Amino acid sequence: MSFLQPLALIALPLIALPIIIHLINQQRHRTVPWAAMMFLMRAKRMSRGMARLRHLLILLMRVLAIAALIFAISRPLSGGWLGSVGLSKPDATLVLLDRSASMEVQDLQAGESKRSTALKRLAQLLEQGDYGTHLLLIDSASGQLQEVDSPKVLLSLPVTEPSATSANIPAMLETALAYLKANESGRAEIWICSDLKENDWDVHSGRWNAIREEFTQLEGAHLFLLAYADPPSSNLSVRVENVQRWERGNDAELVLDVIVRTEGGFLTGAEGRIAARRVPIEFEVNNVRSVVEVELDTLGASLKGHRIPIDAKLSSGWGSVSLPGDANPLDNRFFFVFSEPPVRKAVVVSDDAKVGETFRRALAIPTDVRIQHHVDVIPMNRVAEIDWENTGLLIWQGTLPSGLVAEQVQHFVNNGRVAMFFPSKLRTSTGTGDQLFAARWGGWQSTTGEQSDTKGDISWWRGDTDLLAHAEGGDALPLSELRTYQYRDFESQGTLLARFDNDAPLLTRVATDQGAAYFCSTLPTAQFSSLERDGVVFYVMLQRALAEGSQTLAVASQRDAEIDVLADRNQWEPVAPTENSSISQRGLHAGVYRDEGYWAAINRSQIEDNAKTASLEAVDGLFDGLSYRRIDVNVGDTSALASELWRIFLIAMAVVLMLEAVLSLPSRKTESTPLMDLAVAEGTTE
Amino acid sequence: MALQLKRDYLNQKVLERLSTLQLHARLPMIGNVSGKHRSPIRGSSLEFAEYRKYVPGDDTRRLDWRAYARNDRYYIKEFEADTNLRMCLVVDTSGSMDFAHNGMSKLDYARRVAGTLAYIAALQGDAVGLYCAGKEFHIEIPPKRSATHLSVVLDELGSVEASGETGLADVLHETAERVPQRALIVVVSDLFIEPGIVRNCFDHLRFRKHDVAVFHLMEQNELEFEFDRPMRFVDMEGGEPILADPTVIGTQYRRAMEMYLESMDEVIRDTEVDYHRICIHEDYGDVLARFLLGRTPKKHK
Repeated sequence: MSFLQPLALIALPLIALPIIIHLINQQRHRTVPWAAMMFLMRAKRMSRGMARLRHLLILLMRVLAIAALIFAISRPLSGGWLGSVGLSKPDATLVLLDRSASMEVQDLQAGESKRSTALKRLAQLLEQGDYGTHLLLIDSASGQLQEVDSPKVLLSLPVTEPSATSANIPAMLETALAYLKANESGRAEIWICSDLKENDWDVHSGRWNAIREEFTQLEGAHLFLLAYADPPSSNLSVRVENVQRWERGNDAELVLDVIVRTEGGFLTGAEGRIAARRVPIEFEVNNVRSVVEVELDTLGASLKGHRIPIDAKLSSGWGSVSLPGDANPLDNRFFFVFSEPPVRKAVVVSDDAKVGETFRRALAIPTDVRIQHHVDVIPMNRVAEIDWENTGLLIWQGTLPSGLVAEQVQHFVNNGRVAMFFPSKLRTSTGTGDQLFAARWGGWQSTTGEQSDTKGDISWWRGDTDLLAHAEGGDALPLSELRTYQYRDFESQGTLLARFDNDAPLLTRVATDQGAAYFCSTLPTAQFSSLERDGVVFYVMLQRALAEGSQTLAVASQRDAEIDVLADRNQWEPVAPTENSSISQRGLHAGVYRDEGYWAAINRSQIEDNAKTASLEAVDGLFDGLSYRRIDVNVGDTSALASELWRIFLIAMAVVLMLEAVLSLPSRKTESTPLMDLAVAEGTTE
Repeated sequence: MALQLKRDYLNQKVLERLSTLQLHARLPMIGNVSGKHRSPIRGSSLEFAEYRKYVPGDDTRRLDWRAYARNDRYYIKEFEADTNLRMCLVVDTSGSMDFAHNGMSKLDYARRVAGTLAYIAALQGDAVGLYCAGKEFHIEIPPKRSATHLSVVLDELGSVEASGETGLADVLHETAERVPQRALIVVVSDLFIEPGIVRNCFDHLRFRKHDVAVFHLMEQNELEFEFDRPMRFVDMEGGEPILADPTVIGTQYRRAMEMYLESMDEVIRDTEVDYHRICIHEDYGDVLARFLLGRTPKKHK
């Protein structure tokens, strides 16, 4: 229990006062000669039961009354659960605030979101209590740790405002750990305010073990979780899955795929039955608004291929899709930007003309006739001619680049483009010394020889994502039919996307900050594999890589809100909404930004719309063995986390004193036979 | 009878006031001289007692001829005999009788009661004896009816002191045996013994045909037990002292006292003794007047 006047607790030994007075009183007895000893002894025998208990109770009541008075003066703080925490003054208090979009779910009556409620209650608690020498804030959007002057300031900081980002709770805890270790803080209180969304907590991540272990080693760290796990009472979210600008003759139109998701009891009627409901979706493009009504089912609604005619001269621009207001205002509007589809340009670098032609053929055929593909095949000695700015995909077949070219390739990838590396035909028993992205080629291996440990079959590939993902209908790519006759060993710590039956890698994606870099251990020509002959896998793989690399070529891009999402250009200016004024918070809020001819639409990530709430047991399990307390709160609950208890103690004191008075009341004498009457009565009989 | 009273515990005014009253026995007494009290033996007083059938040998002068005329049968007419009274004063002198109220102890009170009764009895020609007893008899003066004897009784009564444990029960049993003929046994005591034991004593005395009168002396504080702080109670009869907090045991004390008095009432009801419970702050003259009037035969009222 924490106290506003802890010094008053020094007076606690005074609770022994009634006992001491009782003992002194016992010693201050007078001596009196007494005749009726037989009644005295009988009375003493009788008083060993209830009377003695009553006397002890009177003493106890007096002790409790003094204790209650002292506690009242010391002004204890409590909030039900808080009363049993038993904490003393911390050296530092860290507030880990989840600013993700889902934290903006509001209580419709109070008009307060989970984030604002948590902040207010926490600020009130810290204001009443003692938050120590340092009060620090780690917000999920920036992930940065910053010192705060006072709890009240928490309510007005830009870094505690709502954001469209997702949270990374493990990373925030790691930041907190780093601070506590670096500053060797003694007792520290860490308050986590979150709605326990699975994507924010990532409860299955291996990072939690390390976090738990490090917290175990930290003595005096106490974790509190303000858990707003209650789902919204009724909420709809809208998202534009796809937006494309097409031209038909002299006209132009936008084609949008819009998804509406339901959450909570949106479709539940007054009698608890699920009822279909129509919801208007408002589109705004170039200041022109249109409304389309969709019918919701239990999962929501999907509006595929919705066409909005636009001015043919409008080659790029922005728009938004909106829903009527509900529990979470942050997911009721989705911004999108559009532009003419860019020319998908790929460069194949190979000294082998045959191999280069194979790549060119696979890349030159577009998946959509409305998209233009452009492929250049150049030898190694003409690398300097590559137009890095306008290229989306780089195919590099040969010895890994080094020096300036290697730097250019890395820069190319870090700008969000894709590079695919295929081995050189040069046969060396050991790998060359060149390495790129911490990867290097090894020696060539044959799958046809008697000594070979593989027949060149693909034993496993990653079908859920990336280049070899299953088709949209769920059909797997025919990698099982692929035959590899020769492959080259490859050394890397990257993510395996496909491997042979001897566990040797076929396709690997290495770690990069932006973009993607792939290493394929064989060549498409018939001498090495059936990639070209079977075709499907080869074509899909290259087309996906080109599509991914060309995304950054478009002047309009859809981006998930995060701290550095607008770092690629310097002159981003907000287009909509215009009220976002804080430069530091750009990229954290949903909106549209423009830099000369480039457009960027910032929205909450897709996973933020779909995220489920992690189970309380799973979250509690993350803090097993730590000093941890979860406080379950509802978004509508605006009561203080801690309140002063002195009134309760005063009332308790009054009650105790009344009890003491009742217990001290003398027993009623028997009305029928008062002793005096008995004494003077005469029993004369005759 | 004129007596020179030098005993300061006797009050002249009380004696004069009570001298107009007479001490009556509730039961027939057997005395050795003629007196004012009924006797179980038929005598020659003017008081008609009963008729009985004539048997040969009876004095024919006592035949009731009128009854013979009415019934044609012989009846002898008998008359009450009047005799004197033997009064034995049994005064408790155990240590508890020294308990005082406003300077007057229970023994002082007992002294006044017993002395006054002795004077009244002697005044009407009855024999007076005195038995003072603590653990055992301290003074044992058999009843006699001379003025000198009264002086001795009063002197002894004036000089007796309270001390030691109580042995009243044994003393009463012994008194019952020692007093040979029917007598008025007047017990003046605080009766701090179990009611069951008191019952045995009274039963014994009644069995011996004694008329038993009891003055049960109590002090107000003993009844109310009004103390406001812990006290060390020293036993006046020599027992272990007791340290007690009256606020804790006061209720129980009063309850124990109440139970004792209720039991005592039951004993009195069963044994039919002439019982008087007295607080020693009461005027003993009033108490004795009530006592004497209460014993006056109804026909004289």
